[in-house]
Amino acid sequence: MNYSLLVLSAPATGTSNLAAARFAAAVLAKGHSILRVFFLDAGVETGLATRVSPQDELGTLPLWSALAEDHDIELICCISSALKRGVVDQRESVRHNLQAATLHPAFSIGGLGLLVEATNKSDRLVTFGG
Amino acid sequence: MSSNSGQTLVVLRHSPYGSGLSRSGIDAALAAGAFEQSVNVLFLGAGVLQLIPEQDASTIGSKNIGKNIASLPLYDIETFWVDAQATAKFGIDPQVLPPQARLLDRDALRTLMCNHQHLLSF
Amino acid sequence: MILHTLNALPDTPAFNDCLSLLSSQDSLLLLGDGVYGALPEPLTVLERSGVAICALKSDVAAAGLTDVLPAHIRQIDYDEFVVLTEKYPRQQAWY
Repeated sequence: MNYSLLVLSAPATGTSNLAAARFAAAVLAKGHSILRVFFLDAGVETGLATRVSPQDELGTLPLWSALAEDHDIELICCISSALKRGVVDQRESVRHNLQAATLHPAFSIGGLGLLVEATNKSDRLVTFGG
Repeated sequence: MSSNSGQTLVVLRHSPYGSGLSRSGIDAALAAGAFEQSVNVLFLGAGVLQLIPEQDASTIGSKNIGKNIASLPLYDIETFWVDAQATAKFGIDPQVLPPQARLLDRDALRTLMCNHQHLLSF
Repeated sequence: MILHTLNALPDTPAFNDCLSLLSSQDSLLLLGDGVYGALPEPLTVLERSGVAICALKSDVAAAGLTDVLPAHIRQIDYDEFVVLTEKYPRQQAWY
């Protein structure tokens, strides 16, 4: 089956973001495919390259970037949520005259149309929030 | 509104300005409409608070979510499914709801949810 | 048939909204803060609907509830979470 995920929760808030990453890995381990993971609202913070996790905490970025690298999964940060939260790629950074680009290379910035397309083309859509 | 199982239901459960999710949810519904995908919206629980008229979000430096909600019919979302129980609990007079609002009791809400393939939970 | 995933404490709006829409045709997965819904008082309330209830093992352990939850509440791993999503065509996330 073809899955898409909608991730609404920030990596450092609660356990939902970690659950999403672990769930995604389990989906693939079972032989299903993941069309897209769409990060929205606070979820876009997952894509920040500038986070520093404390030593005794497991940040979720390594898990997500491994999924992207090993399985070629699209990780999309919704552009409107991303801009509000300072999650910007080089293009948006230049466009808005910002001092830095902060998006990790495993992620891309994209519009809600990509979420719509994902729901249209997926057998299963699983949302993680809170 | 047809209720075949290929559709997506956008479930809106949060107050208008207490969370960015409400705005994101409406925008997702608008995006689906803009891409001509069939989508329905359900205002559930505290989500019904988004439908209270005459909100003035300028007082909190925010855009009025009512404007986005009013755009939904432009994208063929002509029915807003609304949680009747929550509307009563919050003391909202059904008469002040948008004309597109259709109140459903909890059993009917469940049926609505089961009539959709995907539930986007905002 | 709905797979409900509950990531909220008992008595929150999310918990109560979820509760009002559960059915014996559904499954309920408790995760994150939702695992506290398997404590005796909230569990009694949740079980009235006849919904099949399970909890995410890792989150139950984090909460110190592994040996506290009743035996009939299955503590599942992520593989079994995937199996649930295979079985239930739609998921409603409560948080």
